[in-house]
This record gives sequence, C-alpha cells and structure tokens, in this order.
Amino acid sequence: MKRPPSVKTIAKGVEPLAEVLWEDQEPLPPPFDKADTEPGFKRLTEKAGQTLVVLDDTIALNIPVPESKEQEEKLVNGFISGLRKSISAEDNWTFLQPFMLSLEHCAKCQTCSDSCHIYLESGRNPLYRPTYRSEILRRIYLKYIKGKSRWHHGDIDLNWKTVTRLIELSYRCNICRRCAQTCPIGCDNALMAREIRKIASQEMGIAPKELHENGSVLQLKVGSSTGMNSLVVKDNVDFIDEDTSEITGIEVHTPFDKKGAEILLVHNAGEIMAWPENVGSFSLIFQQAGLDWCMSSEAPAYDGINYGVFYDDVQFARTAVRHAKVAAELGVKKIVIAECGHANKALTVIADRLLTGDINVPRENAIVLLRDIVCSGKLKLDPSRNDFPVTLHDPCNMVRLMGIVKPQRDILEAILPPGRFREMEPHGVHNFCCGGGSGFAIMSGHNFADWRHHVSGRRKFRQILEAFKDEPMDPEHPKYVCAPCSNCKGQIRDIFAYYGATKKAGLHYGGLVELIVNAMVDVKPGYINFEDEM
Amino acid sequence: MPDFMVGDKAYEVDEDGFLQQPDLWNKEVAEAMAKTEGVEELTEDHWKVVNFLRDYYVEYQVAPMIRKLCKSTGFKLNKIYELFPSGPAKGACKIAGLPKPTGCV
Repeated sequence: MKRPPSVKTIAKGVEPLAEVLWEDQEPLPPPFDKADTEPGFKRLTEKAGQTLVVLDDTIALNIPVPESKEQEEKLVNGFISGLRKSISAEDNWTFLQPFMLSLEHCAKCQTCSDSCHIYLESGRNPLYRPTYRSEILRRIYLKYIKGKSRWHHGDIDLNWKTVTRLIELSYRCNICRRCAQTCPIGCDNALMAREIRKIASQEMGIAPKELHENGSVLQLKVGSSTGMNSLVVKDNVDFIDEDTSEITGIEVHTPFDKKGAEILLVHNAGEIMAWPENVGSFSLIFQQAGLDWCMSSEAPAYDGINYGVFYDDVQFARTAVRHAKVAAELGVKKIVIAECGHANKALTVIADRLLTGDINVPRENAIVLLRDIVCSGKLKLDPSRNDFPVTLHDPCNMVRLMGIVKPQRDILEAILPPGRFREMEPHGVHNFCCGGGSGFAIMSGHNFADWRHHVSGRRKFRQILEAFKDEPMDPEHPKYVCAPCSNCKGQIRDIFAYYGATKKAGLHYGGLVELIVNAMVDVKPGYINFEDEM
Repeated sequence: MPDFMVGDKAYEVDEDGFLQQPDLWNKEVAEAMAKTEGVEELTEDHWKVVNFLRDYYVEYQVAPMIRKLCKSTGFKLNKIYELFPSGPAKGACKIAGLPKPTGCV
C-alpha cells in the first residue's frame, strides 16, 4: 500500500491520499481469481488531476481547484456555516439527534471498520475507514465550533483541502449503515457522511450532477429523473402492457389515476425505461390477484425516486410532499412502493419526519404485499418453472433500515423448487451493500464506474460468486441473482457487464416479481428468457 | 467542457463524450463518435438503430425504452450489443447525438 493517510494528511499536499492497488486487494473467487481475469482500473486523466480536487483514484464531484485566496476562503467559510446549521434544531429538522450523538460519542474502537465493504475491499486502506471522515468532521466541530482543546480531542488544520477532500470523501460511502449496526454505542458513521453531503449541497451548492441537476432537479421539473413526462410514461406503460400480454398470453391492463383506489403503486421510473419486465410483472400480479389499484400519471408520482434522500433534505422534502399530495388527491388508501430501496426509505421511513395531516397517506413496501398475495393462494404457482439456482441480494434499505427480511424468503420458498435457493453470506439485516448505494449506481463520470466495480461493488460480486460456488460456472448453466431494487439491479448489471460474468459464468440478475410471474401456471412458459440476455 | 473534433469543427461534449447540444448532430458527428465507441464503420443495421433513437428523441425529448428500440428495429438486445459494444445507452445513444441518459436506468 502506498502512502496510507493519517487524519492530518487530508489538509496537506495535492497528491491523491490513497491508491487502490490490485496486489493489496483480496483476489476474487474463481473464475475471476487471476490478475488477467480482472479488467484494468482506468486511471484519471492528467487534466482532471490538475484542475479538479483529487482525493484518491477517482472523482465524484468535479470541485474545481480554487484559483484565489477568496475562493479558498469561500470554501472554508461555507463549510463552517453549513456545519453550524447542521447542529441547530431550526435547520436540521431531520437528523439532529442521531447526528449530535454520533458527532460527540465515538469511542474510536474501530469495530465498524471491519463491517465496511469499501474499507475491506480497498485492501484495508485507512482512508476508507468509516471513522476516518467522521473523525475529521468531529475535530473540525470540536476545534472550530466548540473551541475545545486540540490536546484533548486531536488536532486538525482547516483549509480548502480539508474541506473539499472531506466532501469528496463523503461520496466514498454507500450509506448502507452496516457500520452503524455494528457500533457498540450506536454511532452512525453513514449519517455523518450524509450530513457532510448535506452541508455541501445545501450550503455550498456542491453535489454530483447525476443526483442533483440530472436527478432531483429534473424530477421536480418534468416529473422523472429519466426525463419522461406524463405522456411518455403512459405511452411506455401502454407498450409494456401490450408486450406483457403478448409474452404471457394474458391480457394485461395497467390502470391509471383511479380515484379512490385501494392502492397507488409507485415504481422507480428507471424500471419503465430499462427493466419493463418488472413493471409488467407487477401489473400482471396485481391484476390476477384482483387488487383495486392504479399508477399515477401525475408528475412526479410516476417516478418514486427521491434522490434528495442521498444528499439534500430540501430536495428530499420537495419531492416527498409532492408524492404524498398526489396520493391524497387521488384518495387512495395507501401508497405501495415497488422494487426500489431508496424510494422505500424516502417515502415510508424518512417522510415520517415530514408528512402530517391529510397528506400523511399510509405507505407500504411492495414485498410485504406480494408475500400476502403469493401465500394467499390467489395465484396458481408451479415452482418447477423456476428450475435454476437462485440467490437473493437484500437491498440495505429494505433489510437493515426497514427490517423486511422474511417476506421475500417466504415468496422464494413458494416459487422455487426445493434446493434451488441459496443464501449469500452474510444476508438479511447483516447483508452487504451492492456497492451502488446512495446514488453510486447512476454515477459514472471520469472513472467512477471503475471505482464502483473495483472497490465498492467488489464485496457483492464476491458474495455472488461464493453463493454459486457449487454450481458449474459456465454460460450453459444460468444462475439468477434476485435483486428487488432498481439501484442494486443497475449496479449488479454493470458489474456483470464489466467482468463479462453472464457470458463467462452464466450469471443473470433480475427482480423478485419476474420470478413470481415465471412460476405462474396461467402464464406461457419461459417468461424469464436467459438467452435474450446473453 | 471538452470539445469533440470532427475535421476542423469543434463540438462541445460532456466529460463522458455525449454531445451537449443535440441539435448540432449530423452524419459526420455520428461516424466520428462511432469510432470512439468501438464501431469502425456504421453499417445499414447501425443506422437503423441510430435513426430510430434520433427520431424518437426529436419527438419526445427523451431516449426510448430499450425494449421499444428492440421491437422497432427487430434486433434482440444481444444483437444491439454486437452492433454497439458499449451498449444501447452509452454507445448507440451517444452516436445518435442524444444526451447522456439520466435517472436509474
């Protein structure tokens, strides 16, 4: 390992603070265990390295290197001003209490380090310890806000390098909160990373363009971060209905804007664009189960995404309120959020801090409802149609945050033949993030995608390969990774493409509802078609 | 923003090489961009994909669903990957002069 950084080095020099080297990393399981089975890690261009703030091997934020004393001071003052707001009840109405507890109470035992997939897979580079960024933030807070003695609490130099690198470092955490789960005293280092992102976005106007300009801003403007307006969404869903009817042999019709319906189903609109089989499967299952439901063609309720949850409370609140208002106006009994982890986090959990009165419409995760449908006997199911090995990826927001662990397993038990399901280790509330969490799956500027594949996503790829270790790893034996979350699916798709895992090892991925439909007796056999993906 | 050169003409592109002003797209830009995406020559099949993407974008200001692209061109997804090794979104859309796809796609 070159130049392992200490807490103080963040304020010094312009060189990268860390470099992830293949020889420091644990090899992947076969058939990707040799140096030549791993694609090379694309390096940053020289120009990017000179004009933008550099932390390590990649860049998420494109912060220009300041060119004057004034610009340098603006960065430092902006950060301090934002940090002051983060610790005030008026400005931090979402997370003040857990933030203050985490800021003031870390015992520095480092238990959390071994729970972090990014730290572990980087070859244990100290830069990626969950405590590294927190400790810098804590020292800034104690020295520059509280005026405490640096002899007691540790010193830190506050300059533009400290501030900008710390902000960039807040985008080397997936906010999966596995560290928070393992902390003996309950410090939430993931929340600390998100609070840094919040200071950067809300006070300094610094955020990844995929999440902000092309994300939450676009969603509030046209209704969806995919750029789809209401007409395009309806047109696409009509197309999906037609396509699903043709493939399954069952006439499918997705109802829109049904006043007083029991359920408003909200998808991540990325599903409509990139995984229409997921949307079609939901429509078919809800229809065949006889539910009283609809989708909305009202912006932004046809796109459940809420990227604010990754980086900005104001953007989060704007979107969540508009989602809830559409549901209230339709007069539905509840909102059901489909296979998207962060949409579930945003609307079912965090929105509890926000929605009151008549827009406090009940919200539910779709997997719970799907479990009730599958176990009710309303659908005729033939598990033998899913006769291939399956493993399950648990989206962090559903397991660790919301505690939804058993329903998806009840479903799999009902739709897979005996012996076909195998767990990843660890799984359930102890799962590892896919590596695309907190917005990473859609971030690919410079070589950020390579960093995702080589560092943040490496543990998930390792777990997948280990889960199938007793299977022949060739394309003639398809193996299915069930990932009931758009973001996780995007990340797994990218990893598989990067390593050529489908062609080389027969690895496929998809959601949960596709597996349910594939087992439905009334559906034409072969709904899941591995050959199309090859 | 970096520039993409076609002959002596400069086109503004984002850091991933997507055209910043989709209106300025033309056949020469497509041919030059194809080379950066591992497509040596744009054949009739390539143009079928590129033209569909282009027409859809001009009408709806957004890229089409990949499934729609497959259905309209009659090409399966693997054929599209054969034609455009970097895929329909990153490869074909870029060559067709569409902006980089946004959102969870």
